Amino acid sequence: MKIWAVASLCGALGASPLVAASTQAPLLTPRDSALHALNRLAYGPRPGEVDRVAAAGVMQWIDRQLSPDKIDDAALTERERQFKILEYDAGELAGVYVDAQRERRERQQREASRDRDSVGARHAAPLPQRMDPSQDRGRRLAGELQELAVVRATLSERQLYEVMVDFWINHFNVFLAKGADRFLTPSYIEATIRPRALGRFADLLIATAQSPAMLFYLDNWESVAPGSTPPQAMRLRARPLFGRAPQFGRPPLFDPGRDPMRADSQRQRALERMPKGINENYARELLELHTLGVEGGYTQQDVIDVARIFTGWSMGRPQQGGDFEFHEWAHDYGEKVVMGVTFPAGHGRDEGMRLLKLLANHPATLHHVSRQLCQRFVNDDPPDGCVDDAVAAWKRTEGDIREVLRAIFTSPDFWAAPNVRAKIKTPLEFVVSAARALGADPDPTPRLAQVVARLGEPLYLHVAPDGYPEREAAWVNSGALLDRMNVAVALAAGRLPGVAVSIDAIVPATADPAQLIAAVNAQLLGGTMSENTKAVIGHQLSDISDPLQARALAIGLAIGGPEFQRQ
Amino acid sequence: MKSGGLALFSLGLDPLFLARAALAVPPTAGPPDRRILVCLFQRGAVDGLNMIVPHGDPLYYRERPRIAVPEHDVVDLDGHFGLHPRLAALQPLWNNGSLAAIHAIGSPDSTRSHFDAQDYMESGTPGAKATPDGWLNRYCQHDREHQNTPFRAVAFGPQLPRILAGSAPSLAIDDLQAFGLRAPQPAARDRLTRAFEELYAGSATGLLSTSSQEAFEAVQMLKQVNPGQYQPANGADYPRGRFGKAMMQIAQLIKADVGLQVAFADVTGWDTHVNQGSSEGQLAARLAEFGQALAAFARDLGDKLRDVVVLTMSEFGRTVRENGNSGTDHGHATAMLVLGGPVNGGKMLGKWPGLDPANRFEGRDVAVTTDFRDLFAEILARHLGATDLATIFPGFTPDPARFPGAIRA
Repeated sequence: MKIWAVASLCGALGASPLVAASTQAPLLTPRDSALHALNRLAYGPRPGEVDRVAAAGVMQWIDRQLSPDKIDDAALTERERQFKILEYDAGELAGVYVDAQRERRERQQREASRDRDSVGARHAAPLPQRMDPSQDRGRRLAGELQELAVVRATLSERQLYEVMVDFWINHFNVFLAKGADRFLTPSYIEATIRPRALGRFADLLIATAQSPAMLFYLDNWESVAPGSTPPQAMRLRARPLFGRAPQFGRPPLFDPGRDPMRADSQRQRALERMPKGINENYARELLELHTLGVEGGYTQQDVIDVARIFTGWSMGRPQQGGDFEFHEWAHDYGEKVVMGVTFPAGHGRDEGMRLLKLLANHPATLHHVSRQLCQRFVNDDPPDGCVDDAVAAWKRTEGDIREVLRAIFTSPDFWAAPNVRAKIKTPLEFVVSAARALGADPDPTPRLAQVVARLGEPLYLHVAPDGYPEREAAWVNSGALLDRMNVAVALAAGRLPGVAVSIDAIVPATADPAQLIAAVNAQLLGGTMSENTKAVIGHQLSDISDPLQARALAIGLAIGGPEFQRQ
Repeated sequence: MKSGGLALFSLGLDPLFLARAALAVPPTAGPPDRRILVCLFQRGAVDGLNMIVPHGDPLYYRERPRIAVPEHDVVDLDGHFGLHPRLAALQPLWNNGSLAAIHAIGSPDSTRSHFDAQDYMESGTPGAKATPDGWLNRYCQHDREHQNTPFRAVAFGPQLPRILAGSAPSLAIDDLQAFGLRAPQPAARDRLTRAFEELYAGSATGLLSTSSQEAFEAVQMLKQVNPGQYQPANGADYPRGRFGKAMMQIAQLIKADVGLQVAFADVTGWDTHVNQGSSEGQLAARLAEFGQALAAFARDLGDKLRDVVVLTMSEFGRTVRENGNSGTDHGHATAMLVLGGPVNGGKMLGKWPGLDPANRFEGRDVAVTTDFRDLFAEILARHLGATDLATIFPGFTPDPARFPGAIRA
């Protein structure tokens, strides 16, 4: 009840956004604009939230969302304590995975030697892959990381902040299943992305450029000036060789771990593995995806010189969860030219910083990133007007993300009728908005995140550097739609694992079709239910006398139906 | 709340639904002469040298003292190459000319990263990561002749793979038996299906409308296929596990004449860094499952294999020399198989660069002498009749002179 008191107080002060923002478009009602804002800036409304935001004034609500630090989020903070992954640093997580790898290797070797020793092994069936405890631990931590994102999206009061974290996670995508990124990604999310999600773009860009997760994901940590010699190689080469021609068939007389021949071959392999030149991977994605955009006007030679500038941007040993390191020995100190700007010879790490700032403020970057933000918040194919508004705010504020967003949310395009309900929910948005609509409470098991994964968006597991797409074509396919319907029916029936729903408070059980349809329309669809949907649900309910069955069916159809797929 | 949802599904049919079902549009079956391509991805980089063994090359044995397949175990193919013994089930297909193998095939890109290399092989654009769609989907986009069925392109797995990502419709089916609305009783399932169908038919627009229509057509067609009742023909015996099941369901869809033209499935477990084994062991077990599934598929299809080509691919091969753990590390070129009626089989394709260190890629791996796009393009052109190869493989000029000759003229 306290909330209502506050809300109505704000309502007295709150102006309609549309008076100032929109001149030509038909005006949205306060409820419609509240619903629109909750669909785009948040993961959909919770029960009663449309009314609360409408009463308080949608612009006040948006204003608050743009200052998340001022929003109390104590309930989420409490919930986050259940996630042990937040207590580990990268080095400790690395330990978990390295242990898992070693145990798996040892198990494989044990099984292999048992196969060799046992009579008749030749015809024995292959052994099933068993999960050892530490491997299990590794997987559990990955599942925790994914679930944490779903829980935050569902429960946080700082909804716009969580939406923006998801936006940047995809803009600066890394792949959780690539080697060391298994244990580098948690700190990437917590320490690199989250603290800067509403800060300055340049700071975010620099932080990602120096993050071990990105350095590893896009291979820059191994990018070295051709001809440079790593100190390890000098140490390895300085040691005398022991080896003679290998002899086989003789049992080892000593611990194979100390076998000098083996040490030689390991050293040889280590030397072979040493990086021998530049790697363009990060340089290219930095220009194409993170900053300028594919049409940003750079050439292949620019990519090469950017890669040269970032030679030596590396990390401590990835397998130990190492931090960012600049390796002077690996850096190319020659002159470079990027998009007409000369980077004189003799510079080290500082020229990388100079380049990142240059890219962060390049007109192509302003346009590219602003357009992506408008794609997320306005329309898959955003109108030029809102992009221009965002670019203007970017210039005015030197890339203050909060002000760029404010410009988008006050742009007439954001409120224009053709852009309302014009976007399809991603799987994450669908699952979280459904959970929120039903007042659902996800438990800390990874099961709700697994539902998101089944619908096609396993979090942090987009392999390509472009992140999960924002366009509807990527998400709408026949199998995915059927799966969404199944999720909706299960959720409405209280059978979706990993989440507890409290429907009684939202839609009272009744067998009266008219009452049910009215309640479901108001509470779950914000009044957007089409006449056809009303008729279909009404017809479905006509022969059901059990109020609980009737309600489950009505809710399942509403959430699995077409209206709820849009935002 | 708990009991409500469960009880819901014990509902009976109402007469109105029966009336509506009678009006349902009958599914359109594809033409009987439809040609079919089945792509299989061996994720994890299969060791081509132990799959198709160059047993005539002494260097093979010198470089792999612990993991080489002994000559007396190899199933000889042409005096120089032979099948791994656990692929023996494929020998009859080689002998009757419906199986070919190509060695030293791979990507012009030098990456040894699984995920980059898989990405390139599926996007069809080595070195270019931002390509939004996969080459199989681009084929479907440009050949619209077969778009009259929701089953035109089907990936067996929980997600649509990169190779089929894109604007052309394609189904992702994890399990044919579970595709569709789930409910304990058929009557409740049918009721839910029709309710959602009506919702989407009347209220959806754009892609939601077309995709849902495809979904319900597919569900409707599947009911006639009756996926739970499938009995493989000719005594075909599919191996247990995901891959065998996927192959069986592909065969099932082909025989159901639902218009399948392009199918895709994954088979995993090829990243053999440690103790990969030789005639027996880890890799042998994977190959046994792989070979048995392919052989069962061919046997099951019988005469229908006439119109089918199965193409296997893997992101790269593995090192020529075994490593310190009796395994192999990431290499470059690998081997692929092409199986089916239209295949120019019973022979090794491509150009074998040999294992001489001087001819290896970066001194260690089998060199690529066939760009994978030349094989893929040939199959699209000569088997499926694709004409717009330059759009399917942007930045690449397919040249029939470079086609390895996998499809009979």
